[in-house]
Amino acid sequence: MTLTAERVDTVVHALRRVLRDDQILTSKTDRYNRARVPAPFPVHRWAERLPDLAVLPESTEDVAAVVRIANELLVPVVPRDGGTGLTDGAVPLRGGIVVDVKRMNAIHEIDPVNRTCTVGTGISMLKLNEQLAKHGLIYPDDPASYPCSLVGGRIGTSGWSLIGARYGHTRDLVLSFDHVLPTGEVMHVGDGVGQKITKSSSGYQLKHLFMGHQGTLGIATRATLKLFPKPEAELSPFWAFDNYDDAYACVGDLARAGVATFAGAVLFDEHKVAYLRRDDEAYIPQPSDVRALVCAVMYGYEDEVRPAGKRLLRIAQSHGARYLGDEISEGDWAARHDRYATPLHGRTGNGQVVPMSWHCEDAAINYTHLPAVTREWHDIVAGLRRQSDVFDDWGMFAYTSSDNGTDWLTEIDVGIWEQQLDDRAWALWVQAKRDLAAVSLKYHGSISACHGSCREGEVDLVPDELGRGFQVMLDLKRALDPRNIMNPGKYHLDRAYS
Amino acid sequence: MSLTDGGAEPEVTVRDERTQEFVAEWRNASYNCYSSGHKFCREVCPVMQVTRNESWTPTAFHANVVAMERGELDVADIAADYVNCTQCGACELRCPNTLFTGDFYRFRTRTVDVVKAVRALAVEKDIHQPKWQSWNERTDERTHEPVLGDIDISQERVRDWAADLNIPIGGESILFVDCEAAYYRTSVPRAVAQILQAAGYEFGLMAEQWCCGGPAAEMGYVDQARRFAEHNLADWRSVGAKRVLVLDPHDYISFTEDYPKYFGADFDIEVVLVVELIADLIRDGVLTPTVPIERTITYHDPCRLNKRKGIWKEPREILRAIPGLTFRDVDRVTQWSYCSGGGGGLPIEKPELTAAISAGRIAKAADLAVDTLVSACPWSERPLSEAGAAQNIDVIDIHELLAESLGITVGGSRS
Repeated sequence: MTLTAERVDTVVHALRRVLRDDQILTSKTDRYNRARVPAPFPVHRWAERLPDLAVLPESTEDVAAVVRIANELLVPVVPRDGGTGLTDGAVPLRGGIVVDVKRMNAIHEIDPVNRTCTVGTGISMLKLNEQLAKHGLIYPDDPASYPCSLVGGRIGTSGWSLIGARYGHTRDLVLSFDHVLPTGEVMHVGDGVGQKITKSSSGYQLKHLFMGHQGTLGIATRATLKLFPKPEAELSPFWAFDNYDDAYACVGDLARAGVATFAGAVLFDEHKVAYLRRDDEAYIPQPSDVRALVCAVMYGYEDEVRPAGKRLLRIAQSHGARYLGDEISEGDWAARHDRYATPLHGRTGNGQVVPMSWHCEDAAINYTHLPAVTREWHDIVAGLRRQSDVFDDWGMFAYTSSDNGTDWLTEIDVGIWEQQLDDRAWALWVQAKRDLAAVSLKYHGSISACHGSCREGEVDLVPDELGRGFQVMLDLKRALDPRNIMNPGKYHLDRAYS
Repeated sequence: MSLTDGGAEPEVTVRDERTQEFVAEWRNASYNCYSSGHKFCREVCPVMQVTRNESWTPTAFHANVVAMERGELDVADIAADYVNCTQCGACELRCPNTLFTGDFYRFRTRTVDVVKAVRALAVEKDIHQPKWQSWNERTDERTHEPVLGDIDISQERVRDWAADLNIPIGGESILFVDCEAAYYRTSVPRAVAQILQAAGYEFGLMAEQWCCGGPAAEMGYVDQARRFAEHNLADWRSVGAKRVLVLDPHDYISFTEDYPKYFGADFDIEVVLVVELIADLIRDGVLTPTVPIERTITYHDPCRLNKRKGIWKEPREILRAIPGLTFRDVDRVTQWSYCSGGGGGLPIEKPELTAAISAGRIAKAADLAVDTLVSACPWSERPLSEAGAAQNIDVIDIHELLAESLGITVGGSRS
C-alpha cells in the first residue's frame, strides 16, 4: 500500500460516484490476490506489491471514469486481465488502483459474413471459442495460457500464439479496440478507422503502439477480432532424433518449406528431453538414444492437411527422424496447454527431489543463432545451479514465430524452489535474467518474443535493445500519460519524467 | 523426500498455536497451487463464472493460506471469502497438478478440503457467517435442516413422505432420505421407494433419522456434524442395518468420506448409491421401464456424483432405458464447468449467487432446445426449478422420471 488510509478513503469516496459498492474492493484478500502473476517472486516480499484497492468495471465508461479519477487524484492505475503474464505487467509496483476487467467478458457481436467478432476484453479465448464453434468459426490466438488468459491481456502484452505461423499472432488477430488513455479519454484504435478493417494506409499505424505496452499506456476494453473457419483437420506429428543437430536441421527445413497449412513447429533440445525422461511422469518414455524431439502442426481441410503432412513427413525422414506414431503425436499435442504447468518438482545439485515451480525466459532469435543461444543460456543456468540449489535447468524449446522460419521463440524453462527463494537467490536470478537477455542481444535477437521485457533484470537491457527508439518510448509515455499514473515503475519509463 | 514434504521452515511466526497447526497441515498443498499459479481452474469454477471476482477463486483460496503462513493474513481476514464455493470439485479436476502428477505422487489438488478446513478454523475461532450460524443452530435444535424456511421442521414428520407406502422400520438395508427430499421434494424419496418396491428390493427406514451432518461439516460446524453422524450410526446399528441406500449425492459424500474419517475401521456399513443400484436392476432385467415418456431432455451431472465421485455412466444408462425420451446429452467433461450452485452452503449465505449459477445452467439446457432438465440431486432441483420456470424448462429428478416410465404414480411434492 502506498496511499495513506485517509487517501484511500478519498479515492473510494470518489469512485463511489461512478461505481457500485460491489465493484470497489478494499479488503486484504482482494488486494493480496491481485498482486501476483505466475512468475516466481520471493514470497516474503509479497506485501511490497499490494495495490491499495481494486475495482471491477463493467463497461468502457466505468474504466474511463475510474482512470479520470485516478488521473485527477494522482493515484497509480494497474490494469489486470487474466493475471497470467510472466513479466509482471499486472503487478502493482507503486500501489494504487488495480482495474480488473474480468467482468467485461460479453460477446457483443459475431459477424460470420465479415469474419469478425467484437468482445469485452475480459473474455478468455477458450470461452469465446466455445461460442464461436456454434458458427463453425475459431479465434486462433493460442498461447500456453489459452484456458485462462484474457483478450485484454493479450493486447496489453502483444501476445505470441503457438499456431501463429498459420494464423498470425495477437497483433494480427486483433483488428481494433476501444482503449482508455491514461487521461481517461476513450479512443478507438485500429488500422485507420479501426472497426473491421484489416489493412489501412490512412494515418499513423497506431494499433501496434497500443499493444504490448504492459498497461503503461492505458486499458483496452472492447476488441474486434479476426475469425477463421474452425479447422476440419489437425495433424501434429512428433519425431525423435538421436542428436540435437539433426533435429535442428529438420525443424528449420520444416519451417522453411512454405506449406500453407503449417501452423508451427517445436524443437525440444537435449536438456529438455533429458529432463522429461528424468522427472516428468506424464512423459511417455522413449528409448535412451532419443536425445531431441521435433513436432509440427498443420490445420486446414482434410484434403489440404493430408498431402501437406506427407510432405513434412518426407522432409523429416530426410533428416533421419523417427516418427513416434499417431497416439503419442495426437496425445502430446492435445495435452499441450496442460503441460504448461510442468511437474511440481525438480532436483538439487546432488539429485535430491524438491518441490519447484516452473518459470520460463524467452527471446526472439534468428534460426542461424539458435544453437549458440541454446548453448550459452544453458551455461548461464548451470552457473546459477553451481551457486544455489533453488534453480534447476528444465531444458529448452524453440518455436516458430513466423510462417517462413525467420525467427524463433526461444525458451529456457527453469525450475525454481519458491519456498527457498530468499534475497540472495533472487539477486542471482535477476542477474541471470540480465545475462540471458544480453546473450539474445549479442546474437541480434530481441529480449522477448512472447512475455514482454519489463521484469526486474531483463528490463535493464531494453534501452540497449531499442536504441534511439527507447527515447521515443519515453517521449510518447510523457505525451500520453503526463502525470505518470498508468502502471508506473514499468519499463524504466519513470525516466520520461526526470 | 516426498513431494508434499515441503521446503524451508517458515521464517515468520504465525499468531497462535491453532493457526500454526492449520498452516502446517495445509501449507504444502497450498504452495503447490500458489507456485504454479496457472489458474486453469478459473473458468470452470461456478462462482467465478457469475462473479468474475478473482478473490473467490481456487487460486485465491490456496494463496491465502500461503499468506497466513507468512503472517500476512489471519483467518479473520479470509473467512468470508470462503463462503464463495459450492465444493463442486471442478477446480480439482481441471488443475494440471492433478491431471499430470496424480498417478505418480498420489497427489491431487484438494480445494474442497482446503475450503472446509478454513471454514472449520473460522468457526473454531468464533468467526461466523450469520446465516450459516443460524442455519446450523436451527438444525441442531430440530435435528434436520430448516429447508422449509420459516416453517419449523419437526423430527416427528421425517417419515411423512412415506405415510402410505408401508415401509417397515429397520432391516438390513436402510433408505436414508436427506432433509431436502424428506421435507421439500418428497416426490424423490417416494419415487425411489416405489421403484425399489417394484423391484422387490427389501428395505426399511431408520428409527430416528437425523440430518446426515454433511452440510454442517461443509460450513465448518464440525463438532455438530460429528454428533449427528454418531447418532445416525447408532440408529443404523440399533435397527440391524448392514447397508444404507442413499438417494442424495451430498449424503453419499458424507457417508463415504466424512463418516469413515470419523469412525475409521469401526464404520462397517455398506453405502449404496440408489442410482447405481437401479442401473444394476435395469441391467439385470429386474426393472423394465415401458411407459413412453414423450420429453426432450438433457441430463445435469450432479457435481458430487460426476466431479467428486466419477459417477456419470449409470444415470445415462437409466435414461437410455426409458422409452420415448429424446436425450440430448452433454458429456461429463464439458459438465465439469456446470453446477446448480446448490451446494456447499452457498444458497444459505448467498442465494443470489446460487440463482445466477442455476440460471446459467438452465441457459445451457435451453441452448439444446429441451423441455426438461433431468437431475439426480434433490439439492440442485430447487434452484434449477426456479431458474427453469423462467425458461419454461421443467426440472425433474431421474428417479421421478423412471418411476413414471415404470407406471408408478409417484405422489408427493416437487415444490
